[in-house]
Amino acid sequence: MADRPVLEVHDLHVTFRTENGLVPAVDDIDFAVAPGKTLAIVGESGSGKSVSAAAVMGLLPSNADVRGEVQLDGRELVGLPNDELRKIRGNDIALVFQDALSALNPYYTVGWQVAEAYRLHHDASKREAHQRAVQLLDLVGIPAAARRANSYPHEFSGGMRQRVVIAMALVNDPKVLIADEPTTALDVTVQAQIMRLLEDVQTEFGTALVLISHDLGVVAEAADDVVVMYAGRAAERGTVRDLFQRAAHPYSLGLLGAMPRVDVPPKPRLTTIPGSPPSPGSITTGCPFQPRCAYADRVGERCITERPELTPRPGEGDHEAACHLGRRPSGV
Amino acid sequence: MVGGCGLTFVGCLCVAWEEQFELSGVLVSSSVAGTVSPTRQALRRVRRDRSARAGVVIVGLLILIAVAAPLLVKLSGQDAYTHHIDLLDPARGNAPQGAVGGESSDHWFGVEPLTGRDLFSIVVLGLRTSLFIAVVATTVTTVVGTLIGISAAYFGSWYDAAVSRLIDFLFGFPQLVFMIALGIIVPPGFPRWLLLILVLSAFGWATLARLIRNQSKSLVAREFVEAARSVGSSGWHVITRELLPNLLGPVLVVATLAIPGYITAEAALSFLGVGVPPPTPSLGRSISDSIAWVYTGADPWFLVFPGAALFLAVLGFTLLGDGVRDAFDVRMRRAG
Amino acid sequence: MPDLAWFVVRRLAAALLVMLALSFAVYLIFYALPADPAHLACGKPCTPDRLEQARHFMQLDQTTIQQYLNFLRGIFVGRTFGEGAAAVQCNAPCFGYSFPLARPVTMLILERLPITASIAIGAAVIWLLVGVSLGVVAALKRGKLLDRLAVGFALIGVASPSFLVGLLAILVFGFWLNMVPVNGYVPLTESPVDWAWHLITPWLVLALLYAAAYIRLTRAQMLEELNLDHVTTARSKGAGEARVVLRHGFRGALVPIVTLFGLDLGGLLGGAILTEKVFSMQGLGELLLSAVGQLDVAVVVGTTLFSAFLIILANLVVDIVHGMLDPRVSHG
Repeated sequence: MADRPVLEVHDLHVTFRTENGLVPAVDDIDFAVAPGKTLAIVGESGSGKSVSAAAVMGLLPSNADVRGEVQLDGRELVGLPNDELRKIRGNDIALVFQDALSALNPYYTVGWQVAEAYRLHHDASKREAHQRAVQLLDLVGIPAAARRANSYPHEFSGGMRQRVVIAMALVNDPKVLIADEPTTALDVTVQAQIMRLLEDVQTEFGTALVLISHDLGVVAEAADDVVVMYAGRAAERGTVRDLFQRAAHPYSLGLLGAMPRVDVPPKPRLTTIPGSPPSPGSITTGCPFQPRCAYADRVGERCITERPELTPRPGEGDHEAACHLGRRPSGV
Repeated sequence: MVGGCGLTFVGCLCVAWEEQFELSGVLVSSSVAGTVSPTRQALRRVRRDRSARAGVVIVGLLILIAVAAPLLVKLSGQDAYTHHIDLLDPARGNAPQGAVGGESSDHWFGVEPLTGRDLFSIVVLGLRTSLFIAVVATTVTTVVGTLIGISAAYFGSWYDAAVSRLIDFLFGFPQLVFMIALGIIVPPGFPRWLLLILVLSAFGWATLARLIRNQSKSLVAREFVEAARSVGSSGWHVITRELLPNLLGPVLVVATLAIPGYITAEAALSFLGVGVPPPTPSLGRSISDSIAWVYTGADPWFLVFPGAALFLAVLGFTLLGDGVRDAFDVRMRRAG
Repeated sequence: MPDLAWFVVRRLAAALLVMLALSFAVYLIFYALPADPAHLACGKPCTPDRLEQARHFMQLDQTTIQQYLNFLRGIFVGRTFGEGAAAVQCNAPCFGYSFPLARPVTMLILERLPITASIAIGAAVIWLLVGVSLGVVAALKRGKLLDRLAVGFALIGVASPSFLVGLLAILVFGFWLNMVPVNGYVPLTESPVDWAWHLITPWLVLALLYAAAYIRLTRAQMLEELNLDHVTTARSKGAGEARVVLRHGFRGALVPIVTLFGLDLGGLLGGAILTEKVFSMQGLGELLLSAVGQLDVAVVVGTTLFSAFLIILANLVVDIVHGMLDPRVSHG
């Protein structure tokens, strides 16, 4: 990462206090993203990726303990009083949600909701805010924005709704945009449009994008850097090329193998990773992926007793993987 | 939700309900082997819930009392009809002598003013009447409502439309007003308790029917009914084996929550003078009779004993109903 | 907004149809039956001759359909009962004539309406404010003491029959503490202070019981709403808690609360029968009760129809308000 990062997260730990005890949802995560660049956080549900995003924004419920450092342009966010955090939320860092229909308030017009985001951080009249809202709706590609600003969320199609959510996030020119599965609920052609929109926004405004997704196709297209998360921990980190051409963690390999691809000859079956992800907090020692890892036997006891830390791959600069396997696992 | 319905009548239990129950958790199908029966899960939850346990205890006690009422009356050595004028004090307008409404080892709750009848017998028999009417009305409405609701959902088309219109119509009725008004047209020979049950049921089934219909509609639309049909199961089979087990939760919840409503409704009607006629004991009527004695402060106990019995009955069943609802993990959601 | 206008028109039409059907059903039930209304107009002793006269006087010798049409016509243009010197004029809108009370039913209803309305509306305002605010507070402070108290209070309120509470209130506050008058109604025009003073106990009794239901409903709705995604979105935009709870959370809970309120108020206006009996107030409820005792069919029919009319009206208003509050219903 050549540029100075606008968002840096170090040693992030998130633990939930529940009736059943302490549940660690995120266990020692690091990532960073520079202006105009895209960082993808990849993982299955339950891997802790959404929790990480919520932690950055300070949106976790009161029973969550957050430890670590989250720095926005050098300013430390963890431990900031809620009043201060509120000024940053929606202003410097904005969130784009997965399901636009449930993310938008059904009782207010689209224009009102975008304008609200603006008015929360700027001293503007309703009219000014409304104008800004229309401007943004137009920017994200909603036709007849002035008229449609008076429509309600349920009157839009899925793709258009997602654009509204993006408009709402962009209205205050945030430095960082966190998009939590922005395309999962959409069909493929619309997906492409939305990703293109995000790309354009980045080019024009220099916004840093944190893209949370489990869809490797989208990641391959859009991301510059990737963090692969598993069971609340980072499994692998590197550029997008590092991941797709030289994946260094058995889990990443498994994800890639499970992805249907058009550029390789078709295999009789899709490779799946046997088993399922552990519930948060159930693995306390060793590697969380060990029960499902095809290479665990080759390494032996160490996978069960010793927790693998992120170590740089030899000769590959910032490409790191948390795996005891000395060498890169060969393809499946 | 038993809302402010203690005030009006049972139908209002759900008058604002454009809602439907939704079972969270596992759907049960007869063809799926080895699922944990929701009933068992429910029983487990009830056992843990404190207020539900209280409800069960109260209800159990009350049912026992109601069923054994004639026995209890005999045990007390009194009955609800004999006048004991000697226990009244003419100087105080024929209020009972002694404290606590004339309470003594012979008359455990004292006696009624003006007549000197044993209050314990009256309360216990009155409770019996109230519970009897409420339970029968609940049973009738549950059966009728469920049948109509399921059939409307299953057969659909004009039958469903007609039923829905009928239900809307019934909801638009001022029920308490109507129940009172009916007093005018019913021939005096007709047994009052039967009339009460019929009238309460006539309005009560609509609520459950609508709920069941909505719930069934969403179930019918789901694949497993299709699957059962495609395997050749007959309509009846689908209804009893696929739909009913999944409807058990909402049905039970509504039924249990309906009972306190009916108890209150019957008491209200008796209070207003259109319930069971004298000399049959009735809690509502006793409360109504007690008004003058409360106003003058001469014998407030005449209100206290029947009032407490009524309150406990409604409270007990409400706690039970809440417990059942929480136990089946049934949540009410807005429809549409 | 044409959308909303059409919505209102459709609902109005439906309401009219229901009213018509209802009036016919009620008429049928009460006039085509065992007890003979003619006995009322028939003096004592009631010879078959006089009965015949009475029947003719009340126009009961016509077919039921004819009677119903006369009834309908009476609503629009008025009616005359009998002929000649003994004829009785009933001006439009004529909902029947009470022979025992020698007054048109319409007049009786209009006389009694202010009393019932005073009771109903006063209590309604109190229970709405108290119930809803307690419900919101209980939801926000879930699990804490205030919540438990509110829920406990609500439970007692829901389980208490109104007439019981009313009598207890009279006993305690009227007699033992001698704080308030225990019965009687003083018209607003005569003395606002006395009017309110005589009404305070019935108001509080009714409000107590209805508020219980509203606390339960509001609390449940708020808990549900605050869990929804669009509330998280509002927070992520940087909105403060107050705004989030009211503008976003409460806004969603509003619809069922308003719906229930409309229906409760409509039903109560049709005759707070129990309250009127307990507090000896001569409103519509009391009118109905005495009419039943006197076998005064015209009054019974008139009040029943009036109550039904109020409920239909309430349903209509509630439907329309629902459409106004929830754009998903009236738009698109």
